[in-house]
Amino acid sequence: MSTNVLAVMIAISTFLGALGLAALLWGLRTGQFDDTAKFLDGARFDGEEELRDAVMMEQKRKEILEKSLEKRREDKRVMPD
Amino acid sequence: MIRDGEHHFCCKGCQQVFHLLHDQGLTSFYEKLGDQTLHPPSDSASGEDLEHFDSEGFLRRYVRKRPDGLLEVSLILEGIHCAACVWLNEKVLHRLPGVVEATINYSTNKAKVVWDPHSIKLSRIVEAIRSIGYDAHAYDPSLQEERALQARRDYYARILVAVFATMNIMWIAIAQYVGLFTGMKPEYKQILNVAEFVLATPTLFYSGWIFFKGAYYGLKNRFVNMDLLIATGATIVYLYSIWAMVTNKGEVYFDSVTMIITFVLVGKYLEVLSKKQAVDTIDRLLGSYPTQVRVIDTQGQGRLVPVEQVEVGKIVELKPGEKVVIDGRIVEGAGSFDESSLTGEALPVYKEVGDEVVSGSICLDSLVRYRVERPFRESMMSQIARLLEESLNKRPKIEALANELSGFFSLIILTIALLTFGGWYYVTGSLEEALVVAVSVVVIACPCALGLATPMATLVGIGEAAKRGILFKEAAYLETMAKADTLVLDKTGTLTRGEPAVVAEERFAPFDPALIAAVVTRSNHPISRGIAAYLRVKNPPVPSHFVEIKAKGIEAVVNGHQIVAGSVAFLQERGISIEYRGEHTVFAVAIDGRLVALFELDDPLREGAGEAIVKIKELGLAVVMLTGDSPQVARRIASILGIEYRAGLLPQEKAAFIDDLHAKGHIVIMAGDGINDSLALARSDIAIAMGSGADIALSVSDVILLEERPMKLYEAIRLSQRVYRIIKENLALSLIYNTIALPLAILGYVNPLVAALAMSLSSLAVVGNSMRIKGGLK
Repeated sequence: MSTNVLAVMIAISTFLGALGLAALLWGLRTGQFDDTAKFLDGARFDGEEELRDAVMMEQKRKEILEKSLEKRREDKRVMPD
Repeated sequence: MIRDGEHHFCCKGCQQVFHLLHDQGLTSFYEKLGDQTLHPPSDSASGEDLEHFDSEGFLRRYVRKRPDGLLEVSLILEGIHCAACVWLNEKVLHRLPGVVEATINYSTNKAKVVWDPHSIKLSRIVEAIRSIGYDAHAYDPSLQEERALQARRDYYARILVAVFATMNIMWIAIAQYVGLFTGMKPEYKQILNVAEFVLATPTLFYSGWIFFKGAYYGLKNRFVNMDLLIATGATIVYLYSIWAMVTNKGEVYFDSVTMIITFVLVGKYLEVLSKKQAVDTIDRLLGSYPTQVRVIDTQGQGRLVPVEQVEVGKIVELKPGEKVVIDGRIVEGAGSFDESSLTGEALPVYKEVGDEVVSGSICLDSLVRYRVERPFRESMMSQIARLLEESLNKRPKIEALANELSGFFSLIILTIALLTFGGWYYVTGSLEEALVVAVSVVVIACPCALGLATPMATLVGIGEAAKRGILFKEAAYLETMAKADTLVLDKTGTLTRGEPAVVAEERFAPFDPALIAAVVTRSNHPISRGIAAYLRVKNPPVPSHFVEIKAKGIEAVVNGHQIVAGSVAFLQERGISIEYRGEHTVFAVAIDGRLVALFELDDPLREGAGEAIVKIKELGLAVVMLTGDSPQVARRIASILGIEYRAGLLPQEKAAFIDDLHAKGHIVIMAGDGINDSLALARSDIAIAMGSGADIALSVSDVILLEERPMKLYEAIRLSQRVYRIIKENLALSLIYNTIALPLAILGYVNPLVAALAMSLSSLAVVGNSMRIKGGLK
């Protein structure tokens, strides 16, 4: 076995392990393990309706943010510099 | 039953909710419910207090403004009992215009709602939740509890990284060890070294960051701590290993670096895990109290007013079962008040026009109106809450022995390592050789054994205690408890049961117990309950006539028999001749005008109280009993148990007594269970609360006894003393190990394998010794 093979094997296996670790940490950080019940319900209550709902929320958020941005811009226009 | 098309409803509320959901197209909720049944929505969800959610004070307190201009609030939802409830609430909130985000945690019932203040008000959001039959309260997300959770999550992430790295480094290290004996080509060794380096780096700088931070704060406050030794030790070994890797000389010790960090980090995490979740005490205490009272105006109309706005002189109405939140004096009506949360006295106090009502008591049985004499801020309950917060902040802290010792030890090891390095460099003139020996000194003195000495023993101790129903909120309390020399006990609820029970019975004529049971089961008075528990009659007959005369007794007709029962004075008043001399509370019963039985009631001592006190005294602690009760009762109990006592104390006076003991240099354990004890509990070094005690007492206490037996107190103290002894033994063990191994290392006799083996052995010895805590207790 050449040294290169050994190096590549260690590198790949460590990298794969690190990927798993990173995924776990990401889940932990974003609070996905905070509520175990929800974890399961997410799968149970999934469907077209849920997707529509999520899209609607996304749109609403975008609209509101745009509105508040506009408002701030307007406020600035009114305010003399 | 209400018919509505093809649907049937139990009440109007359910029907309303159904139509609401139907209009929004959310009827699939009823399918998602599965086997769950629903409770009808409560009527309390009226709109009266909704504007409260939009008030300035509320916004400032609970609502967080996000950088993007949106507002965020944390709510606790009431009435959630299944996943479908979570789904429904989220859906309803999502459909409100202006709500950007709504997530509900099923296990904690906490919801996070983000909304746009320009499109919707919070009161409208809460109204929507209420309209479907749930209710919402705000809570402060900056509570320490939340922060503790954050800290735990942070630790957990660091540990995951450390464990991952250690596990991987271990198998690489095994290859290294084998190579050391059988010989290995330098190229292979080089690859393994680099792999170890890659794994050790994040462990040291990410997972080990906590130690660097701890060492920094320690140095800033001018003391050397364990963190410093671990941080410097790990860093030196790390740097040396890099040097060895680059120059390809000697062995690398990356595995030691990760092992040290991982082990000590896990120990620390376990401590954080068991750490007392300090809560916002004022909120806890006042949280269970109503925020509004019914104020009666001059026309006699009732109106709900927030407690802070009630002025002195206003008339407040109390309904049966309501808690008093503002101090005052009764102007109309009379009734029994439960003041046990203030005085610890188990029996209710009868109050009539002209008597003072104190906040914290509960109106038990009648409608009473009283005139406010002090504003809410100055009322008894608020005062106690304020005092409590103050005392918690300036609570005495006892420096932990192990921390002192390990700090001292760290300093010595670092000095010795430095001296060794200097000495070898001076003698041999070789920098490399001097460095190798100095590093082996640090490795062999690796604080594993010392670092594990305390956490290991306290961990076993805490686990053992938990098995016996004794919960320590923080590991360090075991040590403090072991050092205590005075035990202060509350009487009611701690030494005694806190509810009257029959101690003697005298029968003057034969009678049917069911007749008496029929009367006492109708009454909610503690004495009646005591009698009912004593008689134990199942399915007593229902009285055809029943009158309860407050604080005196009961008149009733059961199965045609005239029954008069109650105090001696009451029976005399009804023309029944009776006499009683004694110190107990008496419940006398006359049937058809003839005295048939007399029950003597007393608040009995808990089982094993006497034995526990004797044993605690044997452990060398002084025992004192404090009570708000009358001196006569206190004297009797104290003389049975053979302990000192102070009677008739107010909550503040109990706390002052503890302060006094502190001033004399005593370390005090306080055991109690009521709101009246919470101040004293907060002031003591170790506070023990009975599991069924008041919420506030539980939240200020350090140790909780799940079983309400005084023997548990003894067990807790004995266990803590034993753990303390084991800690000292562990420290001695690791010190002995170091005194033997260190000189060898300094003289340069230690090769890497021996160092690693010795390190593991010393750790094993400490762990093994700690396990003896389990065996030593029966």
